[in-house]
Amino acid sequence: MDIIISKTEDIIIMAEETRMTEGVKCACEAAIIGLYACAGGSNVGQMANKVAVELTKQGKGKIMCTVGIGGNVQGIIKSAEGTDEIIAIDGCPLLCAKKSLELAGFTVDKSIVITELGMKKSGSLDLQENDVKEIMAKMEDALAD
Amino acid sequence: MKIEILGSGCAKCKKTKEIVEQAVAELGIDAEVVKVEDMDAALEYGVMITPAVVVDGDVKVAGKVPTLDKVKEWIS
Repeated sequence: MDIIISKTEDIIIMAEETRMTEGVKCACEAAIIGLYACAGGSNVGQMANKVAVELTKQGKGKIMCTVGIGGNVQGIIKSAEGTDEIIAIDGCPLLCAKKSLELAGFTVDKSIVITELGMKKSGSLDLQENDVKEIMAKMEDALAD
Repeated sequence: MKIEILGSGCAKCKKTKEIVEQAVAELGIDAEVVKVEDMDAALEYGVMITPAVVVDGDVKVAGKVPTLDKVKEWIS
């Protein structure tokens, strides 16, 4: 019973931490690192999005809306202008996220490509938990470079 | 004219509101200045970082405190 209560508390704490790091971020906090994932229609595109979600939950950046950059959506463009650092996370060497940002006039401070971290591109959209863990571990190094 | 200040009530948001109110007062413009702390409302505009200023539905800035001159430019 105690274990169940403890687990429930853990879940509540995790949910609260997640809530605090998702959604809208205040510029009064530490430097805002905008994470722009391609979220493309392949396994690596979906992994790029998953990585951006996980990094946001860990407080290592803030997932932003990449498509809104291409669509010139004012609120999203202004939000990008308000970031301190921009990281593009692309699934493959087509670099759609990075190119969209640059086309909109933004300087990409760091470009990360999932295939360069060892994941082979395929049409599958389902991510395996082990693959996510492996890529997340490699992201630590990629972000440190 | 409706000017919305989107923010959680933090220091930068308060400063932004002060600057907007100063700009409105100095220009003598008839404007409704509204502080919006509902972050879901910010997301409706695509705003992902605050503070942000929205003038008649147009997002003018996000994640930065605007200068007085800039605000005057937006509302003139």
